[in-house]
Amino acid sequence: MSAVKSILFKDPASTESARSILRVVILLTIAAAAVASRLFSVIRFESIIHEFDPWFNFRASKYLVKHGFFDFWNWFDDRTWYPLGRVTGGTLYPGLMVTSGAIWHALRMIALPVDIRNICVLLAPGFSGLTAFATYLFTKEMKDSGAGLLAAAFMGIAPGYISRSVAGSYDNEAIAIFLLMFTFYLWIKAAKLGSAMWGGLCALFYFYMVSAWGGYVFITNLIPLHVFVLILMGRYSGRIYVAYSSWYALGTLASMQVPFVGFLPVRTSEHMAALGIFGLIQLVAFVDFLRGQVPSKQFNTLLRALVILITVVGFTGLVTLTVTGVIAPWSGRFYSLWDTGYAKIHIPIIASVSEHQPTAWPSFFFDLNMLIWLFPAGVYLSFRQLRDEHVFIIVYSVMASYFAGVMVRLMLTLTPIVCVAAAITVSSIFDTYLELDTPQEQEEDSESKKSKKEKPKEVGGFLSSKAPFIGIYSITSKVAVVGAFCVYLILFVLHCTWVTSNAYSSPSVVLASRMPDGSQHIIDDFREAYYWLRKNTPDDAKIMSWWDYGYQIGGMADRTTLVDNNTWNNTHIATVGKAMASREEVSYEILRKHEVDYVLVIFGGLLGYSGDDINKFLWMVRIAEGVWPNEVQERKFFTARGEYKIDHEATDTMKNSLMYKMSYYKFPSLFPPGQAQDRVRGARLPAEGPVLHTLDEAFTSENWIVRIYKVKDLDEFGRDHFSVSAFEGGKKKKGKKAGLAGRAPGKKGRRVLRI
Amino acid sequence: MRLLPILTAFTSLLSLSVAQKASNKYQTFVDLASSSKGAKGVVLLNDQLFGEITGPHRNFSSAILFTALDNRFGCVLCRDFQPEFDVLGNSWFKDHPNSDGLFFGVLDFSVGRQTFQRLGMSTAPILMLFPPSAPGSEHQPLKFDFNPSDVTPAESVARWITASSKHTVTIHRPFNYAKLFTFVGGIVGTATLSKLAYPYLAPALYSRNLWAAISLVAVLLFTSGHMFNHIRKVPYVVQGRGGGVSYIASGFSNQLGLETQIIAVVYAVLAFSAIALCLKMPRMESSGKQKIAVMAWNLVLLVLFSFLMSIFKMKNGAYPFFLPPLIA
Repeated sequence: MSAVKSILFKDPASTESARSILRVVILLTIAAAAVASRLFSVIRFESIIHEFDPWFNFRASKYLVKHGFFDFWNWFDDRTWYPLGRVTGGTLYPGLMVTSGAIWHALRMIALPVDIRNICVLLAPGFSGLTAFATYLFTKEMKDSGAGLLAAAFMGIAPGYISRSVAGSYDNEAIAIFLLMFTFYLWIKAAKLGSAMWGGLCALFYFYMVSAWGGYVFITNLIPLHVFVLILMGRYSGRIYVAYSSWYALGTLASMQVPFVGFLPVRTSEHMAALGIFGLIQLVAFVDFLRGQVPSKQFNTLLRALVILITVVGFTGLVTLTVTGVIAPWSGRFYSLWDTGYAKIHIPIIASVSEHQPTAWPSFFFDLNMLIWLFPAGVYLSFRQLRDEHVFIIVYSVMASYFAGVMVRLMLTLTPIVCVAAAITVSSIFDTYLELDTPQEQEEDSESKKSKKEKPKEVGGFLSSKAPFIGIYSITSKVAVVGAFCVYLILFVLHCTWVTSNAYSSPSVVLASRMPDGSQHIIDDFREAYYWLRKNTPDDAKIMSWWDYGYQIGGMADRTTLVDNNTWNNTHIATVGKAMASREEVSYEILRKHEVDYVLVIFGGLLGYSGDDINKFLWMVRIAEGVWPNEVQERKFFTARGEYKIDHEATDTMKNSLMYKMSYYKFPSLFPPGQAQDRVRGARLPAEGPVLHTLDEAFTSENWIVRIYKVKDLDEFGRDHFSVSAFEGGKKKKGKKAGLAGRAPGKKGRRVLRI
Repeated sequence: MRLLPILTAFTSLLSLSVAQKASNKYQTFVDLASSSKGAKGVVLLNDQLFGEITGPHRNFSSAILFTALDNRFGCVLCRDFQPEFDVLGNSWFKDHPNSDGLFFGVLDFSVGRQTFQRLGMSTAPILMLFPPSAPGSEHQPLKFDFNPSDVTPAESVARWITASSKHTVTIHRPFNYAKLFTFVGGIVGTATLSKLAYPYLAPALYSRNLWAAISLVAVLLFTSGHMFNHIRKVPYVVQGRGGGVSYIASGFSNQLGLETQIIAVVYAVLAFSAIALCLKMPRMESSGKQKIAVMAWNLVLLVLFSFLMSIFKMKNGAYPFFLPPLIA
């Protein structure tokens, strides 16, 4: 046995170079797997930008490579938020665009002129490989390189991260998670070594992170929290002081160079924790220094009193500054994380976003599978060792679990730490059960293979493990446990692949459905409609739609929009909401005043596409009500029994709202009389469809998902549009039969329904 | 605010010019408002006074609350709204001791039965704003729409009155001394208590076990969807089909209170099995016992993970994977 072992497993020291090569190969394989698993959408559909926000980032990247960096910096975009415009250069996080711009230039330099779109589409998968590497480095600092490799593999394929980084998902998170993990790695390194160089590097990557994603506030608060907990535990040391001071001073100054951030780090509550801890650590360092010089007991008491006094004064000062308004209070988005009812009452525009909803447990399991129950075990193992860096894992775990529970979107920040903790657990289990040596019974300490684990810290109770480490005797036990965990790991890989392929690889711009014979049918209504806008409307046409579609219209149709996904002006959004929710007379005024040429609505009633505007309508009403409580009232859209109905029971306010009319205009004509059916709401519509006076139907896409209306000009004779249509309706009475036979030429006729 | 004296002068001028009678009536109500038996600034009306305050030749507005405070009527909304209305009347009275052309009145059903019948009112509370009577045509009173989920109705009413009349109503809520005292008392009490209990609490405060337990419970709670329950206020269990109690909500983005607790316990046991496997097992001295224990924990892990997968499959019908022995 031992002879075989000595042949197979040489002395660890002598195989170091072979193992490091193996590590590199494994990491490269993990990176390749991470990239490959994100390419489903490219293979199934095409190389296309997904969702909503990425369309803006793509447009901005195109602007950057076309006009150069300085123009990009000073970009005033007059094609959005008409008529206000948007100071785009100063109100975005430029990190993502600059990254892809740099890659574009670098590739051109080596004579590889790649289209910027392909760089944008493939940026997120590329960075996911780097994230796996950063996770490896981070976990290696926590345990060993074995755990690091496992963590990298988990991170590479965990659906919680894939959800935001598939090919085409060209969003800030694409590079931000890599930066998050790498910054944390550098921080742990800095805190371990007490090195100003690592602290400075950490600050540098923190700066990159600040320039890339608003979620940098997570780092801004987590590192101070780590330091604070360490101080409370009495673990203050010169290393922590050097690391934190260098990170904070350099990182804050650097982050203030991003125009969108500017003076926020000294003016808002989100950043006050970091500033406060910076002050505190100076104080602690000072006291620590003095204590070394003057060892008198009275003096120590005096010092302690002084520290408490200064802390209280500092804290009161902060509170006063906040109350008097010098320091801005928590911004609504962050405040709603603590007071979970806040957003719903005060900022409906935040509450309306689906990714800001709380997370139900199936989502956790869906995104993390078995990692979610290995996670607490990893936290427990961190508690057992509890070196300074393990405190970081614990603090990160608790905070990130809370945030992920409150907001689905923040699952993204939880995923890395779950992967790390789970990897620590799995690797501990493998360490124990993959040991070939079998201990001899009754013979204590015969082998000192794990000298570290042999003398566990003497902690009683819950974390107790006073008995010495012996090992596993039976080969059967080893095989059973290792076998079971291998099965779980394989299951995990299957789960991740299935989730990625089924849930997270749809571009949402293009929908896929199955035909009765099982073949795939692509529904391409969005691009059809946007392309129609691009080809058939004047270049300066203004399109009004709900803000969700603003970025897509800007990116695909290249037309001016009123509102878009950058929700910086609530009143303007509420104006659009009011136009949608009001009667035609009121809406027409608003449309004319904003020089709107076309109105675009999304309607899923024919196809059963549930993300349409009628389902979002209540949010429009709510947001409009927030600004005009007298003119738009949510309750008037509910029936007497408090139901949201669109059929014949719908309230008059509902039936007369512009949104309702635009959605169902001529819809009943698709069906036999009285049979019109809305497939999303499962309701039968009144036989008589709504009548539009001030708008003309301009375009309806193949499956009716996108409907575009042209706003009528003022009447030539100065009449209002209602009397015009009444007049024309009266005149046409004679020829009514002829009018009913077909719809106006140029529009699509009745179609065969296929679902 | 500079407008107010002018407004007052204007109203008084108007009242002089219209009729001496109107001026008398106005003064009556000013007196009534200031010497009200209820809240200051709120006129307690009866049938006759209601007739006067809404009668012809009036040069003032009045916001009148029709209510039914008596316990017999069981009008919860009335009783909830009454203090808010008092705050309204009070605030107006504080700013305008002479009422300045706006009165707040309450007509309770027990003293104003006839009026309720005459106006055909069958529900309460109803808040109406009577504008001044214009010469010639009578202005129709405006009705306020109550929003049951409103947290600060007084402010909403104030906004409504401001928007629909020439008066600007600002709300002054009385300073809540009780709250301040509770707050200060709470801080002092906590400080004293922690000072006294410190010698006993210190070991616990520095106990790694305690913090580990707290952190793990927090992590388990949050990852099993507790915050969702808290925010959406989901029921603990619901009545299932066939009269039974159903523990598991159907649907992927839905859950029940008990369901999350089951999940949290499953996660906890799974995590503990993993810990036991990697920490406890290799420290057992007897090889026979170790073998049995390893197999037992391994089995617990397998069965519970399989149970978890089957629950998940129950929630998400399209999920293709399962783990024996439990196959849903």
